Amino acid sequence: MSESYDRGLVEDFGRWTEFSAGMWAWVFHKFTGWVLVGYLFTHISVLSTSLQGAQAYNNTLSGLEGLALVRILEVGLLAVAVFHILNGIRLLFVDLGVGLEAQDKSFYASLVLTGVIVVASVPTFLAGAF
Amino acid sequence: MSTQTPESETETETEPEAEAEPPATKSHQQRRMDDKRARAEARDEAAAQAATEFEGETVELKVFRYDPEVEGKEEPRFDSFTVPFEKGMTVLDALIFARDEYDSSLTFRHSCRQAVCGSDAFFVNGRQRLGCQTQMGDLEWPVRVEPLPHQDVVKDLVVEMDHFYDQMESVQPFFDPDELPDGELEEQRQDRENRENIKLSTRCIWCGACMSSCNIAAGDNQYLGPAAINAAYRFYMDEREGEQKRQERLEIIEQEHGVWRCQTQFSCTEVCPKDIPLTEHIQELKREAVKENLKFW
Amino acid sequence: MAERYSSFRSGSTTWLLQRLTAAFLVVVLAFHFFNLHFVTHAYEIEFAGSQARMETLGYYVTMVLFLVTATFHGVNGVYNALVNQGIDGKAKRAAQIVLGVAGILLVVQGVRVANALAGF
Repeated sequence: MSESYDRGLVEDFGRWTEFSAGMWAWVFHKFTGWVLVGYLFTHISVLSTSLQGAQAYNNTLSGLEGLALVRILEVGLLAVAVFHILNGIRLLFVDLGVGLEAQDKSFYASLVLTGVIVVASVPTFLAGAF
Repeated sequence: MSTQTPESETETETEPEAEAEPPATKSHQQRRMDDKRARAEARDEAAAQAATEFEGETVELKVFRYDPEVEGKEEPRFDSFTVPFEKGMTVLDALIFARDEYDSSLTFRHSCRQAVCGSDAFFVNGRQRLGCQTQMGDLEWPVRVEPLPHQDVVKDLVVEMDHFYDQMESVQPFFDPDELPDGELEEQRQDRENRENIKLSTRCIWCGACMSSCNIAAGDNQYLGPAAINAAYRFYMDEREGEQKRQERLEIIEQEHGVWRCQTQFSCTEVCPKDIPLTEHIQELKREAVKENLKFW
Repeated sequence: MAERYSSFRSGSTTWLLQRLTAAFLVVVLAFHFFNLHFVTHAYEIEFAGSQARMETLGYYVTMVLFLVTATFHGVNGVYNALVNQGIDGKAKRAAQIVLGVAGILLVVQGVRVANALAGF
């Protein structure tokens, strides 16, 4: 057989309208996962200021919390964490073999619920930020 | 036209002379020949017209073309064919029409045209489907036909299937009982319940649509793929299988690039033309592997 | 099954652990968020408050468990994402080492932080 042609990955994001629910769930779960891991390392680093005493800890935290950008990013963090948790629960059910027929509906439900929880939490998160 | 009989061709050449004769002096045979000629001419005209226009609805078929040996097709392109639409026609019908009427170099695999051989899996309007099983009327027009994704294209719609077959073979999809029943003509029996359990998994026609739809199979070349794991399931869950073989099979599919790669994307289940619940079968095997390993402790 | 001595070659252990840590984290992460954004607000957090929480043994133990399970779940998740992507050979070995070391360092540092806050 002479050379064959490697078309490469057909599902590049240009074809996003053709993605199925299950595929979106996989993409988002991966993306939110990476963000959360990145945050975990950052979080421990920030908290490490406690090793230098109360003053350093307090200054760092209040300094960060004073920045409006940080407050907004926290809302983003909430969205990412809530989605990962809700879709994670969906995946746990799939792994147990429960509710496989409704797997795409449960993905949409977790998206909607994430939105609802994030919107409801915005006032608390952004109180006093501006 | 090849369908025409040779006689009519010679007759049209002598046409001017025959028409000049008055009908009364014609013999019976002569009249018959005249009629035959007239009919042949009418047929010719109709055929010539049909080749350029179609009565009724037509659908545009866009097909992926690639041929490393032909100039102009070394880089992939899309060719458009206008195909007359008939109720009930499938994508395969449309492709065959395009090949027969327009371009005989259009290449694609097909055989049974009834969804049992698994030859004609294509990527139609962004989804893996069997050509013979997909109604043109069910699709959005124009219809776009491409070769299966994630596999190397040999020519036009033909893809390399070797990798798929390798993965299928690697789970050793055959029976190997520990012992055969006594008596030469004794059957190896399976009860109804067991048959029901594995019934769906036996339907696989090795078309490759599932593996082509899986993003993990696309990224990780060593992943066995849904079809291979389903094949393993079919034998693993069959009570006629020998215990020895069962353990071997489990060891094959519980390797790093076996069942654990599945991320429950469900694309395989969605595109399977035989409606096999592939993800469910893979999940059952994962649970089975966990249970078997837990027994150790 | 005397022929098989180690279940470790199978991926079933990590697969199961990923799910078990997931179930634990669903509860604890939700609790952590709730505690630190709704019960106490993020901008109100300071050393004395953190210390008060960490000094209670139950909270301390939960937080350390939280750290260990989250690190395992996260690092294992990243490793799996890479394997799915097709990582192989030397790159795979490198990823295993880097991720393993990063995970251990994170847990060590996290425990040091916990101890500093708890006053140990």
